[in-house]
Amino acid sequence: MAETVKVCTQNFGKGAQDIEVYKKLGGYANISERLFNMSQFELIDYVQRSNLRGRGGAGFPTGMKWSFVPRGTGKPVYIVVNADEGEGGTFKDHFLMMEDPHRLIEGLIIAAWALGSRAAYIYCRGEFLPCIESLNKALNQAYAAGYLGENIMGTKFCFDIFVHRGAGAYICGEETALINSLEGQKGQPRLKPPFPAVSGAWKSPTCVNNVETIMSLPWILQHDPSEYAKMGTPRAGGTKVFCISGDVKNPGVYEAPLGTPMMTMINDYAGGVVGGKLKAVLPGGSSCAPLTAEEAAVATMDYECLASMKTMFGSGAMIIINDTHNMVDLLNCLGNFYSHESCGQCTPCREGTGLLHRILNQIVAGNGHDGDVELMQSLCGGFGGVTICPLSISLGGPVGSYSAKFRADFDEYIAKNPDHAKPRIQETSRPGIFW
Amino acid sequence: MRDHITGAVQFVSNNHLKFDRPAQPIEALPDPAETFGHVNKIQAQPSAKEVLAKLDTPEIKARCADLLSRYPVGQGALLEVLWLVQGVFGWVPTEGIRWAANVCGCAPAHALGVATFYTMYNHAPKGKFLLQFCRNISCTIKGAPSLIAYVEQALNIKTGETTPDGLFTILQVECLGSCGNGPMMLVNDDFATDAEGDNLTMKPGTTLTKESIDRILKWCYAHENNMPKHDVLGGMVKGHGGHPGAPGATAKPQVADYAPPSPVLNVKAEADETGATLTWKGAPEFTKIVVEKKSGNDWVAVGEPGVKDKAFVDAAGKVGDEYRMIATSGERVAKPSNVAVTTQKPAPVEEKKV
Amino acid sequence: MSNFYNMPKLPTESSPKVEIFVDDKAVMVPGDTNLLEALKAVGIETPHVCYHPYLPVSGNCRQCLVEQEGPRGRMLVISCYTPVTPGMKIYTPASSARVKNARKATQEFMLVNHPLDCPICDKAGECTLQENYMECGQNESRLRPEYGKNYHGNPAHQFVDAKGQVRGGKHVDIGPRILLDEERCVQCDRCVRFMRSIAGSEQLQLAGRADHTYITTFPGEKLDHEYDLCVTDVCPTGAMTAKYFRFQKRVWLLSHTPTVSMDDSLGANIWLDHADGRIYRVMPRCNPEVNRSWLSNTSRLAFQEFDKNRLPSMDIESYTFSEGKVALVAGGSCTMEDLAAMKLLKETLGDRAELFGGTLLKVNAPDGIAKSGDPCANRAGMKLMGFADVADLVKRASEFKTLVTVNADLFGEDPATAKPLEQINSIIALSAFDNATAKKATIALGVKHWSEVQGTMVNSLNMVQKLNACPVCPDGKLWAAYEILSDMAGKKFASAADAFKKATEYVPAFAGLSYDTIKSTGKLLEGGNA
Repeated sequence: MAETVKVCTQNFGKGAQDIEVYKKLGGYANISERLFNMSQFELIDYVQRSNLRGRGGAGFPTGMKWSFVPRGTGKPVYIVVNADEGEGGTFKDHFLMMEDPHRLIEGLIIAAWALGSRAAYIYCRGEFLPCIESLNKALNQAYAAGYLGENIMGTKFCFDIFVHRGAGAYICGEETALINSLEGQKGQPRLKPPFPAVSGAWKSPTCVNNVETIMSLPWILQHDPSEYAKMGTPRAGGTKVFCISGDVKNPGVYEAPLGTPMMTMINDYAGGVVGGKLKAVLPGGSSCAPLTAEEAAVATMDYECLASMKTMFGSGAMIIINDTHNMVDLLNCLGNFYSHESCGQCTPCREGTGLLHRILNQIVAGNGHDGDVELMQSLCGGFGGVTICPLSISLGGPVGSYSAKFRADFDEYIAKNPDHAKPRIQETSRPGIFW
Repeated sequence: MRDHITGAVQFVSNNHLKFDRPAQPIEALPDPAETFGHVNKIQAQPSAKEVLAKLDTPEIKARCADLLSRYPVGQGALLEVLWLVQGVFGWVPTEGIRWAANVCGCAPAHALGVATFYTMYNHAPKGKFLLQFCRNISCTIKGAPSLIAYVEQALNIKTGETTPDGLFTILQVECLGSCGNGPMMLVNDDFATDAEGDNLTMKPGTTLTKESIDRILKWCYAHENNMPKHDVLGGMVKGHGGHPGAPGATAKPQVADYAPPSPVLNVKAEADETGATLTWKGAPEFTKIVVEKKSGNDWVAVGEPGVKDKAFVDAAGKVGDEYRMIATSGERVAKPSNVAVTTQKPAPVEEKKV
Repeated sequence: MSNFYNMPKLPTESSPKVEIFVDDKAVMVPGDTNLLEALKAVGIETPHVCYHPYLPVSGNCRQCLVEQEGPRGRMLVISCYTPVTPGMKIYTPASSARVKNARKATQEFMLVNHPLDCPICDKAGECTLQENYMECGQNESRLRPEYGKNYHGNPAHQFVDAKGQVRGGKHVDIGPRILLDEERCVQCDRCVRFMRSIAGSEQLQLAGRADHTYITTFPGEKLDHEYDLCVTDVCPTGAMTAKYFRFQKRVWLLSHTPTVSMDDSLGANIWLDHADGRIYRVMPRCNPEVNRSWLSNTSRLAFQEFDKNRLPSMDIESYTFSEGKVALVAGGSCTMEDLAAMKLLKETLGDRAELFGGTLLKVNAPDGIAKSGDPCANRAGMKLMGFADVADLVKRASEFKTLVTVNADLFGEDPATAKPLEQINSIIALSAFDNATAKKATIALGVKHWSEVQGTMVNSLNMVQKLNACPVCPDGKLWAAYEILSDMAGKKFASAADAFKKATEYVPAFAGLSYDTIKSTGKLLEGGNA
């Protein structure tokens, strides 16, 4: 494999948590006259030209997102960093914040310059207390060095960063739920429109960006935007921090250009599949459709290719599954997860994810029946496009795709029930009882 | 069918059968849980006095003031104030939730909803070492269920229970964001796949095994009385001025003119028989744009397109002419745009018909 | 849920009409509202659970789905949160199988963890879930008993029933007036939004998350508010039930009389739900201008005293007023017809009679929900009729020899202030109740209570509103006050319409009105001075 340019992970293992080390490695070089001479509009255009797309999962172009933020409304503009990563298989933000907190701060100053923010909040999930400690330590150093606070480096620009500790809710990774959580409410997604870029936190324009997106900015600003755009695919520029987990020799965080073939990621970066033969790959976190070994052989890791294969790139979290696993066990795992993490707002998701989990539990416990799979597929049909956020589809999608691609695994489990062919008792048709 | 039902109902309601009885006050019946037995153990709550006594310290006051200064609305600090309560008690008693609500200026019922929504707030005391095992997909693939069963057996408790000596509580939680080290665990607030000397470690490439679990448990026993203590909010940040307008904040709102005014970007000029056509990219805040053309060594204004316009035609323009644009936003005049040298407009490409 | 949900925009008579396409047919709908209301305006009912026209929209039930043609094809949208835009293309179940199936699926999910105990549920008959089930439900269950149910409930109230099923709390005593059945709650959030946005006191909250969500107050606190019984109205299921009505009557056995509450000058519009000759409950009647769909506990629970302590009827052939000045005092609950009859009587008596009206009770400030705070309900009507305030009477008590009170309990309201009136030696009390004034009176005549009479009143917003007679009068011989008074004057009104006709002669603002043309939601007066 070719040596790739490291945009976000260049300081890994170099002790960049300390500001002096970080500065020696070229950090905070952007916070200089070059940035201060740029207008907001120029900087947004700069990022747009770099073709940077949001790294949180949805892949929305960052520059375009910023350009939606209205200016001159008199309301403050907030930047909120989404560090609430909690999707199965995703762990890049954890290590990015642990290893290089100053890069996040530097990126935030650049983003704040573009948007005119006075305050930014880093919404970090509650489980990442070591990350919060690392960030707070870095913030203390940055304040002491004058990179944050009032009149940064002698300009009129003032900027503060606060770390907000979440308290355990996967759904807060959805941007409006995250904003609700930041406001001290339950982390339940809001109805849209209005979109956060217009009316977000405290009814002010708010830009929610992923950690990795913000951490790409210092590199982009140091180089020409075309250089970053060149590294990726035509529709999404740059490198991506991939998280590889599951049955591989060396699971971990790897930075590679967008469009790298999937098998290169698995074999060259992660050292190959262990424990058996490759059975399936989840290319973009736990909620995406799995690719079979044959599909994985031809897939490349970018937004377009994976979308064309009816799965998604998501946050670039690859989960590799070998042939010793039964997919129903893993689906049950997801049922557990999504039924636990549903915010309880929309009816289909609140009641449906729990019901699916109970059906999956029955199948795994050896009480499955013929028709359970069809029932689950039908129930998942009730999720499609009807809820405020896509959490219900995050379970509904896998139920559909797992059962379509790995039907034999389901049948294997259902066959364990000696009565699996017994029809459902039609209690409702008993005379005299109609409820 | 439904007409039939409606008709029947009307029939019943119009007849004068007296099958009613005088108004009878309905007393609340006994709680069925009292009769059938509770499913969950009811947690005894400390009194308001005890809770307030513990929370009424100068340190907590300083922390609350710091938190409240960060958010434009006090309610924003609710999650963090609840963390402070959990930091003091190890869990959030009911009166602690009420205290947090009062600090943040929201209704106690709202704070209750928030405190029960998020799973990291404990509503009952936990063991000294809270062992949280990830059971999500990546860890399950690498064998988390068998490790959890091993720990349950080693400590002789089930998930969710606390050992009789009050040392350990086992929890199975959703993804802990360290799938590369899966299976892994949290010991209180520390990620761990192993224990080395005085520290819990999670080195890249390591995963939890039965042996490393034994070492971690041994570490826990050894550190029973000198647990590494974490601040619940990861320490305080000094130097920030808070959010403008928040209580105790010294920060002032961002001034509008901190950055230079936006110039016109990406000016291009192409000439054809109608003259030179200029296109550009404009910012929404522009109030005036002036097009200038180079004449000798001077720049001469040739036109003033509207701020919403997409193109401007200079009828006298021809190939080789140099243009630039100057934007005004409010009172501020931006630096001139790039100089665009007019090129010949390419002949329109005929669309191929499919 | 979020604090920032906005109130829905409701159509009014002046809404601009725009053309939209419903199932490919062009229809004209109000243009400044949401789709659900717009479809309702053209007669298309959309099933919904969480949406309430007078509560902020939270859009969480996902029941009111319709399909909308958009840039990315036909998308399912919730009609309660989708604003009407001219030319939009909408598909309802009438033409779209996708909408039909989506509603069916949502309905199925709604009932997954809902107990099927309609036969013993107090809400049965007026339950939104039942209506939606009949409208769009999955009629045959597809689930197996093995899947089990996960009833919603407070962990502190959960118990295991005889069949081994974990159940949520039943009849939880959530407040002095309300019982909660946690299992029946469908987490629509209406009561939470009502308490937070309308009542302004956030006492209820959904705790927990996913399918462990349950509705609760803060532990140890009770739901207690002047408007707390409104949560039983907004509750779409049998989760919140009013203690006073619980298990008293099946709702389909009740008849409903639309009338106006006469204990407050806002004149909240109400339904009197009655059966077997007595009132069982009082429900708010929606009037966008007056009380929307809210009703205070005081107005709602007042009916419990309507049939108690009543004055019996009395047959009087004729009555001659003795010499000296006569004070005719109208109480707050006098209708316009009563006032017209009093004015008629005054005309008969000539200059020696004077008209007073009002109450000695304290007047409070309006609460902005469904009460104006003024206990004298028809004060505006008295002003229109030219009645002097009762305080004048107290000051000039010595001038009068005879006092006629019509449903005015002056001595009961404020005995200390009313003290000077005791010197009047002849007191005739026309009263529904055997109250302090009736006890002091020389003659105490029983009359019909305001809930039993036809009539009109003018409320504090200067609207004429109509009262209808609920057939619950305990004594068939009782007359309405206006009948007795007009009889005394010698020209007995044949009906309330007749009396109102007389009132239009006295009140210029009533010009052109007749009793039958006043709609159930009232008529705003133009020239009034209230």
